[in-house]
Amino acid sequence: MTLEPPVDPATHGRLRRLASAVYRGSLLVLPSRFRDRFGTDLLRDFDEETAAAEARRGGLGVMGVLAAAVIDVARRAPVERWHVGRRGRPGPRERSRMTMETWGREIRAAARGLARRPGFSAVIVLTLALGIGANVAIFTVVDGVLLEPLAFPEPERMVSVRHHAPGVDLPEIETSLGMVNVYNRWARSLEAMAAIDDDSRNLTGGDRPDRVQVLSVSEPFFRVARTAPAIGRSFTAEDAAPGATPVAILTHGAWTGRFGREPGIIGRTVRVDGVPTEVIGVMPPEYAFPDAETALLLPLYVPEDATFGTFGRVGIARLAEGVTFDEARREVEALQARIPEYDAEMTPEFFEQAGWSVTVETLRDRLVGDARASLWIVLGTAGFVLLIACANVANLFLVRADARQREVAIRAALGAGRGRLAVAFLSESLLLGVLAGAAGVGMAAAGVRALVRWGPPELPRLHEIGMDGSVLLFAGAVSVLAGLAFGGLPVARYLGRSFARVLRDGGRGVTDGRQRHRARNVLVAGQLALAVVLLVGSGLMVRSFQRLRAVHLGVSTGGVTAVTVSWGDTEDVASAADFYLRVVEELRAEPSVASVGATNSLPLRPDGLNGGSFRIESRPRPEDQLPPVSMWSTVSPGFFETLGIPILEGRPMTDGDTRGEPPYVWVNERFARDFLDGAAVGERVQRGEMAETWWEIAGVVGDVRHFGPAEEVRPMMYHPLGPALPPNVSVSAVSVVVAGRGSGGAAVDAVRAVVARLGPEVPVTRARSMEAVRKESMADTSFTVALLGIAATVALLLGAVGVYGVISYVVSQRTREIGVRMALGARSTDVQHMVVRQGLAVTVLGVVVGLAGSFALTRLMAAILFEVSATDPLTFVVVPVALVAVSALACWIPARRAARVDPVRALVAE
Amino acid sequence: MSSSRLKPTWFHLLLALADGPQHGYAIRGLVAERTGGEVKLWPATLYGSIRQMEEEGLIVETDHGEAPGDDPRRRYYRLTPRGRAELAAETDRLQALVEAARSSRALREA
Repeated sequence: MTLEPPVDPATHGRLRRLASAVYRGSLLVLPSRFRDRFGTDLLRDFDEETAAAEARRGGLGVMGVLAAAVIDVARRAPVERWHVGRRGRPGPRERSRMTMETWGREIRAAARGLARRPGFSAVIVLTLALGIGANVAIFTVVDGVLLEPLAFPEPERMVSVRHHAPGVDLPEIETSLGMVNVYNRWARSLEAMAAIDDDSRNLTGGDRPDRVQVLSVSEPFFRVARTAPAIGRSFTAEDAAPGATPVAILTHGAWTGRFGREPGIIGRTVRVDGVPTEVIGVMPPEYAFPDAETALLLPLYVPEDATFGTFGRVGIARLAEGVTFDEARREVEALQARIPEYDAEMTPEFFEQAGWSVTVETLRDRLVGDARASLWIVLGTAGFVLLIACANVANLFLVRADARQREVAIRAALGAGRGRLAVAFLSESLLLGVLAGAAGVGMAAAGVRALVRWGPPELPRLHEIGMDGSVLLFAGAVSVLAGLAFGGLPVARYLGRSFARVLRDGGRGVTDGRQRHRARNVLVAGQLALAVVLLVGSGLMVRSFQRLRAVHLGVSTGGVTAVTVSWGDTEDVASAADFYLRVVEELRAEPSVASVGATNSLPLRPDGLNGGSFRIESRPRPEDQLPPVSMWSTVSPGFFETLGIPILEGRPMTDGDTRGEPPYVWVNERFARDFLDGAAVGERVQRGEMAETWWEIAGVVGDVRHFGPAEEVRPMMYHPLGPALPPNVSVSAVSVVVAGRGSGGAAVDAVRAVVARLGPEVPVTRARSMEAVRKESMADTSFTVALLGIAATVALLLGAVGVYGVISYVVSQRTREIGVRMALGARSTDVQHMVVRQGLAVTVLGVVVGLAGSFALTRLMAAILFEVSATDPLTFVVVPVALVAVSALACWIPARRAARVDPVRALVAE
Repeated sequence: MSSSRLKPTWFHLLLALADGPQHGYAIRGLVAERTGGEVKLWPATLYGSIRQMEEEGLIVETDHGEAPGDDPRRRYYRLTPRGRAELAAETDRLQALVEAARSSRALREA
């Protein structure tokens, strides 16, 4: 008999699979004989029931059915077990039934006990909920970004292949169409490789003209991704061939958002960059690759004889049946040696000089990229907060366990075994853990909404984040573990003890006071140690952030707004350039505009930035050397001035330069320094091998951190925007940068008005202040700073509360002793010092351990730190000082109380 | 045996099988339908009861496929003569109870 589900597995929701697994697990409490006979029926009925419930009431319905069905199993289990037992099966079953009953009784008793002490319970639940909530929220993000697979079947078998040529200053060059051919021809470990390329195009048709995200894909893409349009068909090889009717596939989002789910969309013609294009399909709703913004899929042509050069495409492939990732990686690496077979011009010497290498990685690793390190660090941080919360609660429980000593001893005297007593303690802590878990999930739900809203937009796949079954499972596991962690401690302490002595001592525990305090002190010291680690971590991030902010970007962002104007992809560069120049010219005359310029590649957001080799007239290079490489972009006159980029040498760019006769070019300082020993003006450079034009360097401008504050400055060439642009400079969209007079809004309105007048078909999108662009370039760091900052604050608070709690308790226990001391002549300041000293001893212990831990752990953060050492001395000094100060304050409050003890009362009270 | 009162779950189960063989999940649906959703037999209780009733000789597993459209992967159960007798006896007992209640009420109201 098989255990196949009755419904189509494809429609079988993730949550239902999870519920099914939980239910299957719960069946283990039934006797095996019953399971053998009815297990299949039970599971099948359950699956049908959840399917029906999901259709009616969604995820909530599934959870409802799961709850009812599990309760049903639990209720039925004793009957079935008893039945089996009666038939002569021996005792263990009987015993397990007893245990279940015991647990039930103890949990009910614990619930009553907790309800009688609402304050105590609330403090514990809140403390733990904070810890659990932080963990669940962070786990949700990590789950969404790292663990949830891409919405393709077997996403772990999808890989991306990219190449590196650091020897020619091209450390990341993705892959070329030629290389895609190489792999498709010779790589047996890859089922197929597709070339993909994302960029943006103008889409007209639907309810508005707009600039949209487009993914161009070569024909094997749908096979590689194992996906297909929900409506219509996918691309064939013919669709991509030159001269074919232009076709496109809409994503579900674009179909819904722009075409109002128009049923007759297939066969309709839209305009993509002005070219009439037929819609042949609509992707399914779950398709969101490479991100949810993508609106359109276009066919990408890979000629049979595509050249090896022109990199910049992304190559994705699926592993062939039965091939492991490592086998594929080894084969791809070995294939690099066969490139000369494909393109004879590429000699082994070239590869050696270029430092050629290849990286094969899973598509998910590729998409998640650098976010991985910060997310794991943040998850670790949240784990620390939970540990601190548990330590805090364990401390409260120790106090409570002291109070229960007498009850425990009496129960032991009446014959309760140690196991039974352990159940009594653990059921209370488990109950609290589960309550806190529920509260924590609530907090996390709010937190996740905030995260998705405020998280860095660069965090990949942020839109896919949501709470789901695996998150709830995680929360449940964390809650139970937390309950066991803090409940286990008193159990361990009390079960090893002589109950008779407890009874004799009247439950006051006078004799073993020191030992009890020691346990508590260790907990607090541990808490403080964890807090130190978190504070050091967040301190390092704050310092990184400061450094990042202090980086000289090379542009002044204040008061400047960047507006994207897109003419669209075109062969006719001259018309596009002419249009942009007219826009700039007209804007100059606007009263609201102080200064204006345009570029195809906005600093700090380097879309459209390209690069390649060039040669310098005055410095012919020896045959065996590779040519120098530079990045290039195009800018209009006024661009350098608007962004405050200084002209260091030579002359500014004027309107006359845009004609390209004679051809002038501007370079940055790094270029001048690296290639021309600082004397660049008047030198002539030629781009690429086949180029004929010699460009004369007319000026040297200041370096700009084009790729963001944390990235190195690269050599740059700036070509005047105009009809004579060299190839490989895209002008399908430019950023118009305007510095406004008065409010920036008027200047942006002016851009819109001018563009609307000169080219009503041309979309104006994304107006953002350069200040916002700058902040966004640091968003990753500021996000980590904020998260770690919050975690560290919570840790510090909980740590302080822990110290306070312990010292207060000690003071209350020592009231009599303090009374005696004062009666014997101790002054109140002596008493205060004594108490504070005790608290500080614990603190110092915690701080020392914490610093040692930080020293070991912050090394893991090195990857996300910027210009700050993982053992930054300032952080390592400030944190302990601050912590000791806070802890002293926490001790001082109970110390004052101690100093006010009235000796007479203290003695009489006893 | 027939003098003692049947468990309500068993009564519903027997009633569901009165019109012919059914599989477990269908029994569940019939019971829910008959009681207006009042009685929901969750799987463990359902199959546990089926096991007990089989042992008591009230129902028995049949070969499936008696009716066209029956699901061959399911196990079907039908009433035994004894099950039918128990059902009739319980129905009579309930009937008597209802009549007693009615008449007592009628008496009181009169």
